[in-house]
Amino acid sequence: MRFIFLTILTVLLVVFLNPIAPFWMVMIGIGVLSALIYPNGIGGFLGGGLGMGLTWLGLSIYLGITTSSSLPDRMGDLMGLGSGMTLVGLTGVIGFLLGGFSGWTGVLFRNMLQKNPENVYKG
Amino acid sequence: MKYVSFFLVLALTAALAVLVSMPIGQIPPIAPLLDPNHGFWQNTLSEDQLAAEEISLKNLSAPVEVVYDQNLIPHIFAQNEADLYRAQGYVTAQHRLWQMEFQTMAAAGRISEIVGPIAIDLDRMTRRKGLVFGAEVGLKFIQETDPETLALMEAYADGVNQYIAQLTDARLPVEYKILNYKPEPWTAFKSALLLKYMSDMLVGDRDLEFTNLRKILGEITLNKLFPEFPTENDPVIEAERIWDFTPVAVTKPDSINYPDETLLLGPLTQPVEGTGSNNWAVAGKKTKNGNPILANDPHLSLNLPSLWYSMQLSTPTHKVKGATLPGALGVISGFNEDIAWGVTNATKDARDWYKITFLDDKRNSYSYGNVVRQTELRIEEIKVKGQEPFIDSVIYTHYGPVVYDHTFKNERQDVNFALKWTVHAGSNEQKTFLLMNKAKNHQDYNDALNHYSAPAQNFVFASKKGDIAMRIQGKFPLKWSGQGKFLMNGSDPRMEWQGYIPNEHNANTLNPERGFVSSANQHPADPSYPYYVFDNSFEHYRNRRLNRRLREMEQITVEDMKALQFDDYNLQAAEALPVLIQLLGTYKSDSPEAEKYLQELKSWDFFADPNQKGQTLYSIWSSETFESIWRELMANEVPLVRPNSYQTVELLTKSPTDSVFDIRSQEGFETAEYHVKAGFDSLLVAMSKWETEEGDYSWSNFKKTTIQHLVPNFKSFSASNIYTGGGSGMLNATGSRHGASWRMVVELGPEIQAFGIYPGGQSGNPGSRFYDNFIPIWANGEYLNFSLRTIENQENVLFKTTFK
Repeated sequence: MRFIFLTILTVLLVVFLNPIAPFWMVMIGIGVLSALIYPNGIGGFLGGGLGMGLTWLGLSIYLGITTSSSLPDRMGDLMGLGSGMTLVGLTGVIGFLLGGFSGWTGVLFRNMLQKNPENVYKG
Repeated sequence: MKYVSFFLVLALTAALAVLVSMPIGQIPPIAPLLDPNHGFWQNTLSEDQLAAEEISLKNLSAPVEVVYDQNLIPHIFAQNEADLYRAQGYVTAQHRLWQMEFQTMAAAGRISEIVGPIAIDLDRMTRRKGLVFGAEVGLKFIQETDPETLALMEAYADGVNQYIAQLTDARLPVEYKILNYKPEPWTAFKSALLLKYMSDMLVGDRDLEFTNLRKILGEITLNKLFPEFPTENDPVIEAERIWDFTPVAVTKPDSINYPDETLLLGPLTQPVEGTGSNNWAVAGKKTKNGNPILANDPHLSLNLPSLWYSMQLSTPTHKVKGATLPGALGVISGFNEDIAWGVTNATKDARDWYKITFLDDKRNSYSYGNVVRQTELRIEEIKVKGQEPFIDSVIYTHYGPVVYDHTFKNERQDVNFALKWTVHAGSNEQKTFLLMNKAKNHQDYNDALNHYSAPAQNFVFASKKGDIAMRIQGKFPLKWSGQGKFLMNGSDPRMEWQGYIPNEHNANTLNPERGFVSSANQHPADPSYPYYVFDNSFEHYRNRRLNRRLREMEQITVEDMKALQFDDYNLQAAEALPVLIQLLGTYKSDSPEAEKYLQELKSWDFFADPNQKGQTLYSIWSSETFESIWRELMANEVPLVRPNSYQTVELLTKSPTDSVFDIRSQEGFETAEYHVKAGFDSLLVAMSKWETEEGDYSWSNFKKTTIQHLVPNFKSFSASNIYTGGGSGMLNATGSRHGASWRMVVELGPEIQAFGIYPGGQSGNPGSRFYDNFIPIWANGEYLNFSLRTIENQENVLFKTTFK
């Protein structure tokens, strides 16, 4: 549940913050979201990763389709990656990794602040 | 444990973030580039998708309206010139910022800052020949003599800078993203630099090569192989022109002592063959509608983003439209409500070299006649990407910079050459274009041209009143016959230029009897012109074809003039091919391949249309034959030039048994026949290779016209293998990398009709749909309607923007 919540909030964050802020500020934002929502480690990684990765993927596909520009293909050729589709994929993967690690870091940060479980018994 | 895991993952995340923000070798930072909100994905948007109805532009005295037509050509309507050029700066930067900055970085010798140490030699050369020095002197001259023009140049710069100031990462041109740097502020100096850069592109000299040729061949053979006038001279100014002025006297020294050593320097880069242009105007008496028609097509390196950017610039007192150079104010080749004008390069030897005799190795002073003169030292700091700056020190004499010395492209310690070039003297070309844009008649045109120094141009003119004119304008040194053809001795004051040809003595003509004026980079005038004129690169084919056609044409229409700009007739082939075939005789007639090619050549009509095979065969055969003829001469390991094709063809035709054809290192006596056969053998070898590897040898597939991005490595930003005809020496001078960079035809009737096209598009953004949309139109020889627009005209409007 928290994982889905994180994914949705990350998407919103990328959609609204990213146009006015560079990617590393978005990463910090995802870390903060993840620490607040506090899913488990895998949930943090996947939530942040899917949120950012899917948004970047979606945006690049959206721009590619609405502009029908030849630039993605030209860039793909220039970077030795073949077609623009490879770049769409690469954009998604980079977004996923950046978001994923940010989300995971957020979870571990919250973990660090949590009291040790053994304290529960000492009550 | 949880501390460890947090910091471990934090470190990993941070490392990842750093890794994707850093350039790795030539690969730019990957995350900023791929980020769909800021990276290259944003450059997929075309200008109409980003259109703004209103843009805030400070320092305007009144709002400025900009109407973009369906081809993204901006039509600027301002209330005064300061507002007009401020808006021109902003609008041009919107579409061409990266290009205008990159070109001036090249002109300033600053490419190493962008691409690293690979460009240090290039930057040194740019600086050592004094382009930056020339631009500094030029700007100072404008500051001192023409504050009005300076104020307009600063308004333009302010417009560019206001655009840069509001530029977001998303809107940054994609080349900056890939090469990972940011634009810097524009200045009036950069506009001055751009015009010097044009000089550098268009001006050459062969003093070094001719010095070597003189040593190797002797004066008599040199004059035979390189005559100063061709047999059939068809000059820019009609040969019948009477020179009704008393020329300024030039005294030739009675004895001339040239530096007489064979020289192994690396010569300066020369304008590439194929660089040239056509322009002409026909008088009303030769046209169907009775109106003058003017045409211009400058042939330059074919690049993307295109060198040209079209615009209409309007104030309440004038409306001008045509091709602008991003970075320079006003229109460079165009028309207004009263006149039209165009430019072609007036090749004339404007660079001379002087051998400097320094007193000692410190090179603080040098001898000059009976006196000793002091040098000045200019330190050039070349910043290099990823390295410490490179410091170059260049010695300046009163002639100009010592380009070649033991630190640069010259192994000999004792040889120092200084460059004298009109580009180093103060001048104000910008003023010419500002005045020309507003000119109303022939007098205004002449007044505008009086401010123009370099690069020298043939300015064609036509007016609504019915005048047609041509004037060769530049700052031309007064030279005695032969001066500046060879390297000169700088310690002899008699070798100095003796002043400049007065503007009113520059070759010109107004309304000649023959009913047309024309230029195609050929000799400016008949031998009767009373001043010495020399250049090695005069055109001998396009000019004759053009003038022949213009002489015979009557009832001319705009369509006829468009067709003439796209004329693929190869006059050289028409003159040379029958001679080649005759000299070949029955050689290789037993080979079916040879017979096939020969038949194709014999049935060819000399038009280099894209589907023609004869043109391909002729171009290989002739170039291999010429190569064979001059191979022994060019084998000398010093810089030399070959006799031109015209002279070679003449020798082949008129004196096929001349001793120039003999190969001394071979036994026997070779004649022209030998070289024609050798050329034919090479043709068979080349064709067999081509047919195996490529198959189709129709002309367009063979020449592979390519319009290359300014960064040649960015291959996918270029347009290659374009299906179009023409070639060097033809009116449609479209070769593989050079050609008509802008075509314009204007009929000056009561309502001006104008047509234009260039191989590119208005947008400099490779992602835009306006980046290369003109190319297919250009390649087919078609045009866009370029007539003037009024602000009220609502037809074919893409969008409008108001600057406030």
